[in-house]
Amino acid sequence: MGEASVDAIDDGTLRLTLRGEIDFTNAGEIHKTIREAIADRRPQVVLVDLAGVTFMDSTGISVLVDTMRAAAEVQAEFRVENPIPRLLDQLRTTGLAKAFGLT
Amino acid sequence: MDPLEDYRNRLADLDARIEEARSDPEVLLGRASGLLAGRAGCRVGEAHAYLLRLADEQGRQVHTLAADVLAAMEGRSGGGTSSLATAVDEALRPDPGRVHRQGERPPEPPTPEPPPADPAPAGDAWVQAVQRVLDTLPDRHILLLPRYDDTGRVTDYTFAAASPAVVDLSGRSGAQLLGRAMSEVYPTIMDGPIWEAWALTIDDGLPREVGPVPYVSPVERAPAEILLTVKVRPVGTGLLNTWIRHDEETRLAERIAQTERLGNLGWGEWDLVTGQILWSDGLYRIYERDPGQGPLPREETEALTVADDLPVRQQAAEAFGRGQAVDVTYRIRVSGHVKHIRAVVDTVRDSGGRPVKVYGIVQDVTAGETSRLRLTEVERQLSEHRQSLAAEHKVAVRLQQIVLPMPVGPIDLPGLRVAVRYLPAEQASRVGGDWYHAAPVGDGGVLLAVGDVAGHGIEAAAAMAQLRHALAALSVTTTDDPAELLTALNRLLFAGRHADAERSTLPVTATAVVARYEPATGRLVWARAGHPAPLLSRAGVTTELEPPEGPLLGAFPTAEYELAGAHLRPGDVLLLYTDGLVEHRHQSLDAGLAPVLTVLDHITAEPTSQPLADLLGRLRYTNPDDDTCILAARPLPARAGHDA
Repeated sequence: MGEASVDAIDDGTLRLTLRGEIDFTNAGEIHKTIREAIADRRPQVVLVDLAGVTFMDSTGISVLVDTMRAAAEVQAEFRVENPIPRLLDQLRTTGLAKAFGLT
Repeated sequence: MDPLEDYRNRLADLDARIEEARSDPEVLLGRASGLLAGRAGCRVGEAHAYLLRLADEQGRQVHTLAADVLAAMEGRSGGGTSSLATAVDEALRPDPGRVHRQGERPPEPPTPEPPPADPAPAGDAWVQAVQRVLDTLPDRHILLLPRYDDTGRVTDYTFAAASPAVVDLSGRSGAQLLGRAMSEVYPTIMDGPIWEAWALTIDDGLPREVGPVPYVSPVERAPAEILLTVKVRPVGTGLLNTWIRHDEETRLAERIAQTERLGNLGWGEWDLVTGQILWSDGLYRIYERDPGQGPLPREETEALTVADDLPVRQQAAEAFGRGQAVDVTYRIRVSGHVKHIRAVVDTVRDSGGRPVKVYGIVQDVTAGETSRLRLTEVERQLSEHRQSLAAEHKVAVRLQQIVLPMPVGPIDLPGLRVAVRYLPAEQASRVGGDWYHAAPVGDGGVLLAVGDVAGHGIEAAAAMAQLRHALAALSVTTTDDPAELLTALNRLLFAGRHADAERSTLPVTATAVVARYEPATGRLVWARAGHPAPLLSRAGVTTELEPPEGPLLGAFPTAEYELAGAHLRPGDVLLLYTDGLVEHRHQSLDAGLAPVLTVLDHITAEPTSQPLADLLGRLRYTNPDDDTCILAARPLPARAGHDA
């Protein structure tokens, strides 16, 4: 799958790298990949790297929200990193920026 | 053992295979249908159906019927079925002696007898004769005549004749070399191994081959060193030299190897006369076999064919029997995995039409086949997906119409006129979860709201219905405070998600903006849950209201929503919208907002008699990806006017 890749780092960090446009066409698939990765590896930190994401619709935002919940379920810290300015705006508008560790 | 016997056996073996293919039930039926269609001038499919029906009527196996039909029709046309072996035997019988030479070794290249060394024509005449012969030959041949000194020792050689292909490293043609001395043209060759071979052959009259030997060219631009092999034969009083440049041979071989690698190609050759099988490096690669082991015997090669594809090979063998070149794609199992192989097989025949060699060019097309199959699978899934989307769309549209009937004209509420427009997404399947609410609440106030459920289809429409009805109910029974309402809606959506929590589905989240207007004071109190702030347009200037904190609905178990305030004056226009209005995939949110601001500026700068209708009329842009809900409101004068 091209839009999401999962890298486990030995110190217990699960790094999820998303790419391209995350929308209703691929959100379900990405959501599944992420859920499985978190369930399998039970990381201490879940980190979502958005550097390569150019667009997210509301279902894309739902994927992030669910990732946050999945991390909470395994008591992992959750952070989102490197959103492009437009995505950062979007995360501020939706009131998620703070919970995602973005200011 | 008689070599002809071997050849006959191989032909008989081929015949047996072709016969086996011909008697294959599917092949029989296919051929019979084809022939019948040709005779009757109908389509093959019709002929096929006809044969099936006929067999059914006659209570016979369709394959035996097909065999009968074939026998009858091919018998009449008098061709096609005679076996290779019979044809060859017939051809051989009349004059076995003659055929023994021609039939046995037809493709053998001409091996020129060594020219008689003795009776050399006197003077230049024989040299000219040699030149005329060389003129017709490919490759590089040079006739050298020795130069003797007074003691009878050979001191040098003269170029006496050369074939047209002779072009030396400095670009001189054979004709330019004629008459010149070896010591002058190629000084580095003197006293080398080739030079020695010449002397020996002149002595004993025996042909020699020298090389490969390195030849260092005195010419600067030429390759520093090339490898040469020279075949030396005595001709008349001179030496006929055939030169082979190995760098060219190597280049050619490398080019072939490169081509095989790039194209995943390999070629094989089966000599029916000698029985020899040759495989190229590429073929060994395709069959993952060590070249040291030699080619796989044909039976074993064929045994690798995937069982499902045996009929394909049968069809091919049958076509081959009819003298057609075969181009067939089938699967083989090599080292535990399946490869898709395309084979083009052709026969070399002698002048009598008898097959003497079978050539096959084989290509590993697995990569292409695999992606083609994957594409087909994806297309199938897409098609299924489309169908279920279409069905879902119908339900979603119906649900939305029931839950959210859109008013055609403006709604007059206490002190406020409201107009609403819903713009569905361009793509019909993307009917979404946008909603609005506009209704009076206690103390003469008015509650306005617009919301957007993430996602599309039935699930989104259901969540939209839940949120809207909950808001309507809560605002009448419990509270009309926008922040408290959003807190309640968040709890509702979050809990709803957990009630039917399935890990495989995305959580339902939603955004909303809720505002309470007090007509008596013109005061607007509002809160938002992850939603764009309302736009307020006044006298040609439109601003986005400063947004208070408030996360989207359904993300957190509990959430706090702040309140913000504003005042509406007569002539102002307030716009609540969902992000479909400004969110476009390939432009920034600001760029999407700009045209909306322009329209609003214009509406309040030069008010018309029905500003809301004009405004919504101009905001008709449809977002291809998302549906859009717009709610526009303007305060009515203390005494309700009659304009729209």
